[in-house]
Amino acid sequence: MTFVVTEACIKCKYMDCVEVCPVDCFYEGENMLVIHPDECIDCGVCEPECPAEAIKSDNEMGLERWLALNAEYARKWPNITAKGTPPPDADRWKDVPDKFAKHFSENCGSEDNDDKSRAA
Amino acid sequence: MTSDQEHSERRARIVQGIVDETGVDDAMIKMLVHTFYGKVRTDELIGPVFDRVIKDWDPHLEKMCDFWSSVMLMSGRYKGNPMIAHMRLKMVRPEHFERWLALFMETAGEVCPPRAAEAFVGRAQNIARSLQMGMFYRADKFPPRAGQGAP
Repeated sequence: MTFVVTEACIKCKYMDCVEVCPVDCFYEGENMLVIHPDECIDCGVCEPECPAEAIKSDNEMGLERWLALNAEYARKWPNITAKGTPPPDADRWKDVPDKFAKHFSENCGSEDNDDKSRAA
Repeated sequence: MTSDQEHSERRARIVQGIVDETGVDDAMIKMLVHTFYGKVRTDELIGPVFDRVIKDWDPHLEKMCDFWSSVMLMSGRYKGNPMIAHMRLKMVRPEHFERWLALFMETAGEVCPPRAAEAFVGRAQNIARSLQMGMFYRADKFPPRAGQGAP
């Protein structure tokens, strides 16, 4: 069992979750975070913390796609252990639907992307 | 714009809600952790496993208090990788987790009010299940799911 980051994170990326995660299992893309499913211990601390309500338990139905995306990009993106600066327009994107199709970026996050060897 | 201050206030409200509902605080966490590991150390099944791995108990108990403070009160005091720490322990079997959980439930029932005990045990069950999934049933032992471009 794990928690997964879903579409609502895209272009919001508040990163409050990173501050409370006890096991540093978040990985950072350019405009979204993901959770490494093999590192998450299912403690649930991040879920209520997300202002965009992007974090869900994989007990919920219909999250297979997001679990696969989290697993894939956790291997490609760098680990993030400290909250950075959220996008200035994060709040404007908070309730926008269908962000994945139009706005998802496969690029690494900016915080410590010296780990480019792992990028696809 | 949602400011850092708003986010801190939001977190403080979430934590206050947990405290109001359960009464969990640092003193309760300390009591639970110390009582629990007191039982663990004398348990005939898991005591020897812990004795082999934990050489110095004081820092370990402090670390476990930080862990539970991070999990129950979102304090961010603990940072670590328990999944990797547990995966290194080749002697640990599912029955050890069962005993660990049984002792944890027993202790929580003894030292915490019912709602706090329930909250601790709920988290402990999820965490124990997750660690066991990682240790005994890792996803990479199975074919990737459709659409999962594992490198």
